[in-house]
Amino acid sequence: MDIPKEPNFSLLSSQDFAPEKYVRDISQNYVGGLELQNIKKKIQALADETSNNLKKNVYQNYVQFIETAKEISHLESEMYQLSHLLSEQKGLLTALSTSSILEDNRAHFDVRNEKLDEQELEEENKQKLATILDKVENCKEVVEAPDRFLLFEGDLLEIDATENTAIKFVHVYLFNDSLMLTNRNSNSRGLMRYAFESLYELSSLAVVNVRDLGNIKHAFKLLIFPDTRVFQCSSNASKKEWLDKIDQAKKTRLVQEQQKRESSLEKISPARSISVDLSINSQPEEIFTHPDWFLDIPDELDVCIAQRQFEDAVNHINKSKTYINKHPEHVGAIQKKIDQKQNTLVEMLMKELEVNPEKSLQGGLRATRTAVRLLNQLGRSTQSCDLFLKLCSSMLKIQCKRVKREGSTSTYVRHLSSVVFTNMCHMSEEFLRAFPDSCANCASAYVVWASGELSLFTTHFAKQVFMPQTSLSTITECVVLVRSQCERLCTYGVDFRYQLDGALRAPLSKALNDARDKFVDSIKLRAIDEKWIPVNLNTRSGLARCLQEYAVLGLKLDTYVTGDVWLQLTSSNLAFTKSFLILLDDCLKLKTTELLHSIDETLTKCFEAQLRYNEQGLKNEDQKQFILKNFEFLLVVLVQLTQTKYKEATGYECDNLNKLVNDYLSLLKARSTKTKYSSEFL
Amino acid sequence: MAKKTTVQPALHKVIMVGSGGVGKSALTLQFMYDEFVEDYEPTKADSYRKKILLDGEEVQIDILDTAGQEDYAAIRDNYFRSGEGFLCIFSITEDESFQATQEFREQILRVKNDDQIPFLLVGNKCDLEEKRKVTLQEAQDRANKWGVPYVETSAKTREHVDKVFYDLMREIRARKKEENKTSNGRGKDKNKKKKLKCIIL
Repeated sequence: MDIPKEPNFSLLSSQDFAPEKYVRDISQNYVGGLELQNIKKKIQALADETSNNLKKNVYQNYVQFIETAKEISHLESEMYQLSHLLSEQKGLLTALSTSSILEDNRAHFDVRNEKLDEQELEEENKQKLATILDKVENCKEVVEAPDRFLLFEGDLLEIDATENTAIKFVHVYLFNDSLMLTNRNSNSRGLMRYAFESLYELSSLAVVNVRDLGNIKHAFKLLIFPDTRVFQCSSNASKKEWLDKIDQAKKTRLVQEQQKRESSLEKISPARSISVDLSINSQPEEIFTHPDWFLDIPDELDVCIAQRQFEDAVNHINKSKTYINKHPEHVGAIQKKIDQKQNTLVEMLMKELEVNPEKSLQGGLRATRTAVRLLNQLGRSTQSCDLFLKLCSSMLKIQCKRVKREGSTSTYVRHLSSVVFTNMCHMSEEFLRAFPDSCANCASAYVVWASGELSLFTTHFAKQVFMPQTSLSTITECVVLVRSQCERLCTYGVDFRYQLDGALRAPLSKALNDARDKFVDSIKLRAIDEKWIPVNLNTRSGLARCLQEYAVLGLKLDTYVTGDVWLQLTSSNLAFTKSFLILLDDCLKLKTTELLHSIDETLTKCFEAQLRYNEQGLKNEDQKQFILKNFEFLLVVLVQLTQTKYKEATGYECDNLNKLVNDYLSLLKARSTKTKYSSEFL
Repeated sequence: MAKKTTVQPALHKVIMVGSGGVGKSALTLQFMYDEFVEDYEPTKADSYRKKILLDGEEVQIDILDTAGQEDYAAIRDNYFRSGEGFLCIFSITEDESFQATQEFREQILRVKNDDQIPFLLVGNKCDLEEKRKVTLQEAQDRANKWGVPYVETSAKTREHVDKVFYDLMREIRARKKEENKTSNGRGKDKNKKKKLKCIIL
C-alpha cells in the first residue's frame, strides 16, 4: 500500500489524483486527530495559496485586458485622425492640381468654366489612352506614363527617304510630349490592330515640311538623329493638320518646360511665348544670375506642402529669404511666388491648429507643436498663439464635459478642479514651450486666456457649490480644494489666487451669512427644549467618547465631569461648542483679508446668540450656579480656544469677540454684586 | 520595275541656316523655282529636292530650309546633323544677323564635329546696298578667319544665287570623293569619331 505523500501541488494537480482515495489513504495511515489536523492545515494552506495565485492571475489578466482595451481605443482614434488627414490631403491635392493647371491663381476665378472644360477634356483623354492600350501591342509603358495625353492620331505612309518609294503604312499617335509610331499588326486581326514600333520625344524631334520631293506629295520628314523618316499624308490638308498639331504640341510643351525652369518668367503672355526665341536669347543673363535651387523654390514648396513636409517648406522659405536679402535685384517675380506659397503654407498650418469638431484631439497639444513652431518661425506667432489658445479652450471644455456630476459635491469639485487645473498646467507648460521667448503679445494673450478660463470655471463652480442646501463645511472643502489647485499655476508664473478669491468673495460672504442665520436658528431651536440640567451620557464609555471627541476639537472637559456619566454643561452648550468650533474651523479655512469682516461678524453673532440665550437662563434661580458655570465655560474656555485658533490663522485676536466677551463679563460682574455666587468664578 | 527607278543620282544635303528674316527661304525658292517671294512668313522647317546638272553630272540636291527660330536646341542639332553642307546666311542690312552667324558656325562645328565641313558664309540682300550695315571687309574677314568662302547674294535679283548652291555642292562632292579615296580606313576612323561623339553626347 502506498504511503500517502505530503500534500503538494504536483500531487494534487496530477491527472490521476482521486480525492476520495487520497483521503482514505490518509485517514488509514495517520493515527490520531492531531496528525490528521496537521494534514488538514497543510491542505488548507495549499488551498489558500492556490486561490491567492488564482486571484493574482485574474488580476494580471484584468490589467492586461484594460491595457489592451485602452490601446484599442487609442488606435481607433488614431485611425480616425488618419482618415481625417487623408481627406484633408485629398482636398489639398485637388486644390493644388487645379492651381497648377492654370499656374496663375489670379486667373483662377475668371476661367472657372474653361477649367471645367479642361477637366472634361482630361477625362476624355484618359479614355482615349485606354483605347490605345486596347489597340496597340506593347505600349503599356508609353500610355501609362503620367501626365501624358493624346493630342492627335492618324494613318500615314512611310516613304524611303533616299529612294522615294513607299515602305509601309503606319499609325501614328501624337501625345503632348512625344510621338508614337505603330505598325499594322498583321498577325492578329483582333483588337490589337497595331504593334508598337518607336516613341520619340517631342523635344528632340525635328519636323521638316517637305515642299518638294519629286513626285511625292503631301509629305513631311522627321529628323531623329541618326534617322530621317519621311511620311506621306493622304492630302495636303491632312499634312497641314499634322504639322500644325506637332508644332502646337511642341510649343505648349516648350512653354510648360520654360515655366517650370524659369518660374520668374511666369508672366509671359501666350502671344509672346509663340515667338519665344527672342526671350530665350535675351533673358538668360538675367535669369541665370540666380542659382537653380532658388528658381526651384516655388515648386519645391508646392511639393513640400502637398507632402505635408512643413518643416522642409519652412526651411526652403528661410533659405530663399536669406538669398533674397543678399540679392535683392531681379527677385520680384520669384519673391512674389514664394510669398504666395508661404501664405498657402501658413493657411495650411493654421488649419492644422484650427478647432474642428471632426478633428480628434487625441494627440493633444503635443500634436500642435510642429505647426506652432513653424508658424512662429514664419513670424506668425500672434496667429498661432491665438489658435493655440482656442484649441486649449476647446480641449478644456471637452475635458470638463467628461467629468460626470456624480457623488457628493466635493467629489465632483475635486475631480473637476483637478481636471481643469491639471490641464491648465499642461497647457501653460506647452505654451511656455511653444512660445519660449514670446513677445509680450503672446504672453498677455495667454494671461487673458487663462483668466477667461478661470472665470468660466469659477462661474461653473459657484453654480455647483453655492446652493442653499450646501453646508458651509462642504463649501469650505471645495473652496480650499480649488485654492490649492489654483496655486499649482503659480509654478508657471501665473498667480490667479487673487482673481479666484475675488470671484468667490460675494458668494462666500453670502454663504457665511446663511450659515450664521442657520446657526442662530438652531440655537433658538435648542433653546426650546432646554431644561438646564447637566448632560447625562448614560455610560462610562459614552462619557469617554464624548470627552475624546472634544479633546480632538481642542477642549479638555474633564473638569466638568461629575460622577460616572455626568457632564456639568447643558446639552445645548455642548452642542453649540461643537458646531461653533466646526464653524470656526471652516471660517478660518476660508479666511482672506476681504472676507475677514464677514467671518468676524458671523462668529460674533453666533457667539452672542448663545450667550444671550444663556443669559435668559439665568432668570431660572434654581439652576443659577450651574448656568454660571456654563457661562464661565463659554466665556473663558471656549473663547480662549477660539482666540488661539483665530490668532494662529490671522496673527491677531478677534476684537469683536473680545469686546463681546468683555461686555458679558462686566454684565455678569454687575450681577454678581447682587448674587453671592458670582464671585466664585469672577 | 520599281527597283530600277530607285537608282537615284547622288544626293547632296544642304542646310540653310541663319537668323529669322535674312532670306533663307527666299534664296531657296529663287534657286528652286526661279521666283522671288516678297511676303515674309516665318518658316518652320521645309525641305526641297531637285535634280540638277552639276558640271555635267546629274545630282540631287536636298535643301533643308530651317527655321530661324527653333525653340529646342536639341531639335536644331537634329537638323544640323542631317546636313552635309551649310549655307550660313545673314542680311547685310542687319548687323545682328551677321553677329548671329558666329553662333551658328559654332553650333554646326560642335554638332558635326568637323571643322572642314562644307560651309559658305552668305551675305544676302546685296541689292539693298544703300541700307548696308555690314561691310564687305568685315564679312570677308570673318570668312577668312573661318577658312570659308564669302559670297554676297540677292534673292531678289537672283545675283549669285545659283553660285552659292553650286559652289557648296561642289565642295560637298569633293569632300565625298576625298572620303572615298582615303578608302574605308578613313571612313572607319570617321565612324569611330562619330561613335565617340555620340557617347560623349
